[in-house]
Amino acid sequence: MTASSATLPRGGRKHFRWLAIQEQITGYLFILPAVLLITIFGLFPIGYAFYMSLHRWRVRKGGFIGLANYEKAIGDWTGALIWIAGFALLALAYYVWNNAFKEESDRRLIAKLLAALILIAAGLAISSGWERMLEAGDEDFLNSLRITLYYALGTVPVEIGLALLLAYILFQQIRGQELFRMIYFLPYITPVVATAVVFRTIFSPRETSLINQLLSLVGLGPYKWLFEPKPFTQVMFGWSLEGFLAGPSMALVSIIFYGIWTYVGYNTVIFLAGLGSIPSELYEAAEIDGANGWQLFRHITLPLLSPVTFYLSLIAFIGTFKAFNHIYVMRMPSAQGTVDTASVTIFDTFYKANQYGYATAEAFLLFLVILGLTLAQNKVFGERVFYG
Amino acid sequence: MRGKRVWLLVVLTVAALVLTACPQAAPAQPAEAPAEKPAAEAPAKEAAPEGPEDPWADVDPSGQTIIFWHQHSRQREEALNEIIQEFNDTNEYNITVVAEYQGHYGDIFNKMLAVLNTEDVPDLVVAYQNQAATYQLADALVDMTSLVESPKWGLTEEEKADFFPAFFKQDIFPTFGNARLGFPPNRSMEVMYYNIEWLKELGYDGPPTTPDEFKEMACKAVQQPFSKATAEGSMGYELSIDASRFASWTFAFGGDIFDYEKNQYTYNSEAAIAAMNFIQDLFNNGCASVVTERYGDQTDFGAGRLLFTVGSSSGLPYYRAAVGEGAQFDWSVAAIPHVTPDPVMNIYGASVSMPKTTPERELATWIFVKYFTSPDVQAKWAMVSNYFPVRKSAAEKLTDYFEANPAYKTAFELLPYGKYEPPVPGYDFVRDKVREAMAAIADGADVQSTLDQLTEEANQILAEQMAELK
Repeated sequence: MTASSATLPRGGRKHFRWLAIQEQITGYLFILPAVLLITIFGLFPIGYAFYMSLHRWRVRKGGFIGLANYEKAIGDWTGALIWIAGFALLALAYYVWNNAFKEESDRRLIAKLLAALILIAAGLAISSGWERMLEAGDEDFLNSLRITLYYALGTVPVEIGLALLLAYILFQQIRGQELFRMIYFLPYITPVVATAVVFRTIFSPRETSLINQLLSLVGLGPYKWLFEPKPFTQVMFGWSLEGFLAGPSMALVSIIFYGIWTYVGYNTVIFLAGLGSIPSELYEAAEIDGANGWQLFRHITLPLLSPVTFYLSLIAFIGTFKAFNHIYVMRMPSAQGTVDTASVTIFDTFYKANQYGYATAEAFLLFLVILGLTLAQNKVFGERVFYG
Repeated sequence: MRGKRVWLLVVLTVAALVLTACPQAAPAQPAEAPAEKPAAEAPAKEAAPEGPEDPWADVDPSGQTIIFWHQHSRQREEALNEIIQEFNDTNEYNITVVAEYQGHYGDIFNKMLAVLNTEDVPDLVVAYQNQAATYQLADALVDMTSLVESPKWGLTEEEKADFFPAFFKQDIFPTFGNARLGFPPNRSMEVMYYNIEWLKELGYDGPPTTPDEFKEMACKAVQQPFSKATAEGSMGYELSIDASRFASWTFAFGGDIFDYEKNQYTYNSEAAIAAMNFIQDLFNNGCASVVTERYGDQTDFGAGRLLFTVGSSSGLPYYRAAVGEGAQFDWSVAAIPHVTPDPVMNIYGASVSMPKTTPERELATWIFVKYFTSPDVQAKWAMVSNYFPVRKSAAEKLTDYFEANPAYKTAFELLPYGKYEPPVPGYDFVRDKVREAMAAIADGADVQSTLDQLTEEANQILAEQMAELK
């Protein structure tokens, strides 16, 4: 360093600094178009949408009403705070539970019990906060969040599990691998509206619909599928559960099938890429050590695929919370609103009710929910990601 | 680590913002325009030369080019283009109308919301009454009253009397101080389609005229399938869950879904409750089912597995085609069975509305509207579109068409009994709620409480829509 400094010409330090500044300016100039584009088409609309959410706005702009639109949606600020506190308690329970394993054995039990108590408190807070909000708030919107959660929970784990299975099978150098890969990927690239219309016919309540005919072969059905507002658990198993435990409607389950069908192929292809990046030496070494197929999968494939799994689940959760097109095509009046996810409800508020301000407020609330879920997912699953 | 976490949080926040809010940010676009240019264009009345008699007397419409947004496709579009071409070639003011297909009603509605009160509005646009009412929330339409009444450019008393009264009044909006926000170029009507031959097999000479007869025949049809049916199964009535069906049955039971004096929805009126009890009873007895696919009732009717359907008269050609491709039987249309002395028919159809532009363009647009609704053009338009003409004198020019299409003639003769659905903003949203309520009722929900809740929700939506006007 000294030698190089010594070789700098007179005024070299200043010149060097100027070069560095020039370099920085050049860098900023390079990213300027992208920054401008993101600002104009990404950030400005978000800011403007937030501005709208603070106004009475139907077709034309009305007066400033502050957080009234938000209050209309959630109904009761106290209820909302209790609800959020419930999630905070949930996070605390998770923290205590995780730390319990670091304790000595006698303290571990106490920590676990404490975590369980906090968990119960969290459940109670979430439940009571939600009830308060539901009583005073917009039932349609709040229910749409519950329906969205059903949709996400019904779709994401299944599509990722299936995709992992298919990718693992396809990775075994089987014949026609390319063909299968293409077939699985097709649903993802086929226009959503077209395939949703086909699914609408498949899941028609007619006795002659494909799904009812298939089920009749095993002595089941016919069911009303997309026309059935009753919970899936009640229709299929006769259970009379209440509230959240009742689960999604039969109509929503029909749409969940569509969601799984669409994204399994895409996830499979991504998993295949992930599988390709795992060094074969690891498998060879494990095989020499006597590992069987399941052990190879459990101790090499799964951990080394965890970044891909994490990425896919993150994107899938966000995707399901924003899902719109196929749900809009497949929803029927007979489903009586039991498939109306948050995106659909926001769309209706905007286009049918022309309540622009309120619709943007709903959109921001949805955004907050997604943000919360993303952070939680990042915290819980991110820690379990193994980057090799 | 802390720094990394902060960055992670920032990245996640931005990513989530971009991923979630961007698509919803689109709403900003349509609403932006009115905010920026609330009064960029002068309203017709203000801009037109003032005069106690006729504000349009000194306006010169010569040489204007008029943009017309419509939803007509295929043969209808071809016929419309012919009509427009003829107007362009013959009008003495050298006005040029340019017709632009802009998708379906919903597409046009959404496009309009984005351009209201901007220079991008068309001069003439197809709009249902409730859509026109929504545009007017932004004070974006021309009140056409002064044009209709203009001594120089308007209609004579004789011409006005030539319009079917219900059609003529339908575009006058009590909620906007009786402004005329549209003008009717065509109309349709809800009618009952029935299978004549099947009814004969069941032992009936003609279609039902009362709900009780309707139920009796529909239930009998389930037990005794049509001999010429080309598909399995047999059903009396298939209900397409739709707000217009709700209105039609309520009208037939002697009531209304809206109180025009109080400006309130009345979905829980006695007639509405009776109508929905009647529908639910049909379902409970297995005499009715829900339409499961779009236009599935047409297909089933054509195949001879469905005795009755209720739908728009504009569907006549499609029913004809379905029967032709299906069981090929005699069929016709009739009034929806009613408890009132006379039938009460639900008439509907989009009108044309005039967004505010300049007095010259507005007058030129009106001259075209006047031409479009003239008897000769109406007769031509009715024959191609299968809509009803809006003028009585057009009927005289349709003699041959009536002869070739007896079902159309039957429906046409029911026009004097017309009644319409409420022309209020937000009705599209209310229609969704009505559909849900109807579906619940067909599924066995309690009629009274379902309709009470529906009425409450509908009136709340109306109140929210009208809040801006107060």
